[in-house]
Amino acid sequence: MAKLILLCLDLIIFCITVNAVFEDQIGKFDWRQQYVGKVRFSHFDSHAQSSKKVLLATENNVFAALNTRTGELFWRHVDKTGPDGSIDALLHHAQDAVQVVGNGRLLRSWEINVGGLNWEIVLDSGSFQAACLVGQQDITKHVAILKKSVISLHYLSNGHQKWIENLPESETVDYQAIYSGGNGEVYALGVVPHSHIAVVAYSLEDGEIIKQISVEAPWLSNIQASCVVIGQGMLMCVDSPTVSLYMLDLHVQSQMTQIPLQSLGLEIASGFRPILVSTQPNPARQPLSEFFLQLGPEHYLLLQLNNGQIVTLRDFKPAILVAFATSGEKTVAAVMSPKNKTACSLNLFSAETGRRLLDTTLTFNMAPNGGKPEKLYVQAYLKKDDSVGYRVMVQTEDHTLTFIQQPGRVMWIREEALSDVVTMEMVDLPLTGTQAELEGEFGKKADGLMSMVLKRLSSQLILLQAWITHLWKLFYDARKPRSQVKNEVTIENLSRDEFNLQKMMVMVTASGKLFGIDSKTGSILWRHYLDNIPSNAAFKLMVQRTTAHFPHPPQCTLLIKDKDTGLATLHVFNPIFGKTSQVTSPALPQPILQSLMLPLMDQDYAKVLLLVDDQYKVSAFPSTKNVLQQLQEMASSIFFYLVDSSQGRLSGYRLRTDLSTELIWEVVIPTEIQKIVSVKGKRPNEHVHSQGRVMGDRSVLYKYLNPNLLAVVTESTDMHQERSFVGILLIDGVTGRVIHEAVQRRAKGPVHVVHSENWVVYEYWSTKSRRNEFSVIELYEGMELYNSTVFSSLDRPHAPQVLQQSYIFPSSISTMEATLTEKGITSRHLLIGLPSGGILSMPKMFLDPRRPEIVSEQSREENLIPYAPELPIRTEWFINYNQTVSRVRGIYTAPSGLESTCLVVAYGLDIYQTRVYPSKQFDVLKDDYDYMLISSVLLALFFATMISKRLAEVKLLNRAWR
Amino acid sequence: MASPGGQGGGGALSTRGGGGARRMKWALELSLGNTRSRDRQGGQGDVVYPIGYSEKPVPDTSIQETDKNLVEKRCWDVALGPLKQIPMNLFIMYMSGNTISIFPIMMVCMMAWRPIQALMSLSATFKLLESSSQQWLQGLVYLIGNLLGSALAIYKCQSMGLLPTHSSDWLAFIEPPQRMEIMGGGMVL
Repeated sequence: MAKLILLCLDLIIFCITVNAVFEDQIGKFDWRQQYVGKVRFSHFDSHAQSSKKVLLATENNVFAALNTRTGELFWRHVDKTGPDGSIDALLHHAQDAVQVVGNGRLLRSWEINVGGLNWEIVLDSGSFQAACLVGQQDITKHVAILKKSVISLHYLSNGHQKWIENLPESETVDYQAIYSGGNGEVYALGVVPHSHIAVVAYSLEDGEIIKQISVEAPWLSNIQASCVVIGQGMLMCVDSPTVSLYMLDLHVQSQMTQIPLQSLGLEIASGFRPILVSTQPNPARQPLSEFFLQLGPEHYLLLQLNNGQIVTLRDFKPAILVAFATSGEKTVAAVMSPKNKTACSLNLFSAETGRRLLDTTLTFNMAPNGGKPEKLYVQAYLKKDDSVGYRVMVQTEDHTLTFIQQPGRVMWIREEALSDVVTMEMVDLPLTGTQAELEGEFGKKADGLMSMVLKRLSSQLILLQAWITHLWKLFYDARKPRSQVKNEVTIENLSRDEFNLQKMMVMVTASGKLFGIDSKTGSILWRHYLDNIPSNAAFKLMVQRTTAHFPHPPQCTLLIKDKDTGLATLHVFNPIFGKTSQVTSPALPQPILQSLMLPLMDQDYAKVLLLVDDQYKVSAFPSTKNVLQQLQEMASSIFFYLVDSSQGRLSGYRLRTDLSTELIWEVVIPTEIQKIVSVKGKRPNEHVHSQGRVMGDRSVLYKYLNPNLLAVVTESTDMHQERSFVGILLIDGVTGRVIHEAVQRRAKGPVHVVHSENWVVYEYWSTKSRRNEFSVIELYEGMELYNSTVFSSLDRPHAPQVLQQSYIFPSSISTMEATLTEKGITSRHLLIGLPSGGILSMPKMFLDPRRPEIVSEQSREENLIPYAPELPIRTEWFINYNQTVSRVRGIYTAPSGLESTCLVVAYGLDIYQTRVYPSKQFDVLKDDYDYMLISSVLLALFFATMISKRLAEVKLLNRAWR
Repeated sequence: MASPGGQGGGGALSTRGGGGARRMKWALELSLGNTRSRDRQGGQGDVVYPIGYSEKPVPDTSIQETDKNLVEKRCWDVALGPLKQIPMNLFIMYMSGNTISIFPIMMVCMMAWRPIQALMSLSATFKLLESSSQQWLQGLVYLIGNLLGSALAIYKCQSMGLLPTHSSDWLAFIEPPQRMEIMGGGMVL
């Protein structure tokens, strides 16, 4: 019997759609873009002349090497998120890149050609301060690490520790910097804030303290921010209150020399903290005696220390950014200065003399809606005639990396802001111009029969013309080899395809940059940087008008809320072209709590957006007379809910006709016991085709499809593994009625929830069994519908039947979402982003609380899989095959024009777009459908009928003659 | 081959078929038979009728009676035909089972189609039964038989689950209910 059940199970499982791609389909419907994030450290690989690598260490704990010719990744290493994986320092020497990771926890060395790990050692505990390469006699063999209380020296070749020494008086002295000038000594520089500087010199050989200097410096609080070492071990500091430079020779015990900036004829821009920039091209040698002093936001000076005297080599004003670069023996300084509003020019200057080098101008054109340049990385190289050439990588405020070659040719652009997508929407593309014309014809008002006929004829003519040109193009393209036919998507030739499979992805990133990406190819069609976005802003993106209302342009609204002040702004834009809309967004003087998109439309077909402020008053956008009138009529049926997680309060409000609100229900969850983690409603564009489920005896179990249902997830504040729990609360958002409540004891978050149709699926960590578990709740009305025509939460006397089941899942998950299709006929799948980078498409069928423990005739009839506690992970369920998507943070699903097809975008560090077919492509002919065979058979049959008919006639005639 | 009223002695050889419908291209007659002479309508006076032969046919009343019985019987056959098929149909039904596949479907279709066809050509059958004295009874029996047949087919459909008699069969036509309230909101941003 068991065997029989197993066989049955196998059969059922095999019958379930298996949705793997074929090898030749790779990249046909899907694409992936890999990002690294905002750059923190960057080094050009300069040890070989032909090298085309740039090493990047980023705020997202990613270490990568880019191809400087194309901007593509050579390799990438993604470390843990958070402070555990943060890259504190990156040093580059020849073939090796040395990294300090996790606040001085690990020291790693990478081989930069292939990105392999040379070695990794665990450092002693203690917070990391600084690191530098240490060389002697032109050979660099060591790396020195300075921590809060110890200094250690490691071999570059294998990471072994050469020596480790405790820093003297580390309780009082704050050691912040480390310096080595290639003379066999390592200096640790510390400061007692507002008192004195402590300099300790260690011998490179055995770590013995050679000397210890203490110098009065009552003005100094932070060495790293205001001091650099230049020339033959001179510590140069700048202090803004006293407006002077201070100089100290590290080798001799002496007082600091104060050089007032006025004596050099310089002054600091008001309110600006001056900054020093120096360079040490070779760690085994002394740093250069030339350095930059920044005196204002756009004012730099190139200074030189010459025999104890400071000489001004050149004054750069205006200059936005400066950087040193070394190639061979030559060190140059690149200076970026504004040219006009949209462009900057870069020039190269000799570091030693401050003279401008000839033919080194490079123009950097700033994107019209981009950010300002923020950092400059220069790759200098020696040309054949021994002059210096250079390329630059400019990092702008919007985290864009632009690589430019002389005289201003952009080699590549990387939009690193896309590594941090916050929210996104998919918008239908507009119809083609001719289709739109035809649509527009019907949109306009009629003016006379004759003119209408003429208009109709003319638009038909236009259509005919377009069709002929299309045919001609097809014919023309068919003659060309396939590789030459380019179908580049530009913003001009964007148009909806037959099945609406190509859409515009509008992505909002944390840096405040908006992107419009073509979902078919992944090419960025527009970008728009919103400056002055607060760093902790909350975003909410809404589509107010789709492309369906030609000639009105589509309209998206982005609500940006500053979490500190609570004030919000609206950015209204056209999602197809990215242009800011002409519509004036309302001024919002009050802090905004939430927004609510109504299905009502104004006379221009824009959906009405309600904004709830902290006085619980509502303002509408757009707020025309028409809208206000509609609102007044509808007010009694407009409800909204607010969830205040800090106070544990869920409250529901009803709109009054004067746009004020009244509180109608409130649920308080005591915050000292549990806190609200997330609230999930249903997606407004979700359609449910089937109102019930067919049972084995062919009766119907009707689904409880409450569109106002909310799933509220709570977690216990007590994190002890015996007492922690996860709670789920199903609340009607209109009446506040608690429909169902479930508590998972000895479980903890993070909880991932999907709420759709009549089910809620959530995942949590079970501390009891130490595993991840899925739980599914399904709600049914019963065998009869209470009211099949209208659904009102206010009139629901019967509580729904609740079914629940839990399963074991063999992996932790990062995010979860359900597929969505046009009409909701297709069966649903759950898309699960795994930490391993896979995206699993699991049939909802496996998460069905009606899965029976004992198989019966009826359950078999219903195609229910017998209950098994473990959920499988099948390799063919991975929709992204080997295209790992790192750190998936969200999955977005959108319906396409085909019922079988659902568009999926997974975003995180990478962006991956694909299509899924949860019930296979039942509405599409297969790729290998044999049109030739079918049509030839049909034709043959047709002719056979004709011929046999003729033959039969002849035969009949002959017989008649007989 | 023997012609009615033909003499025993006259062995006429002819290639004429029994039906006599087909015209032959040629025919050989080896001896002058009576049949031929009879055809010639007494053109030759040398024909001798046997004793007791009368040119007028004598009405055979006994045969008339059996004919009547035969017609009656035949009509009952027609009328009972559908009823007689029912056991056979039951057997087929039992054999074909309730699974939905091509053969049982074909069987059911045939079973359903035949009585319907018969009912549609009811008037023609009635005409056939016109000669019978129990025409109405026979017609009724015939009708009942066919109705039983189609009932059987419907029962079979029912047991195969082909009839939309359950609420689940109408599930796809239920429209999603209209929403009375508009609701939205979320976590305080």
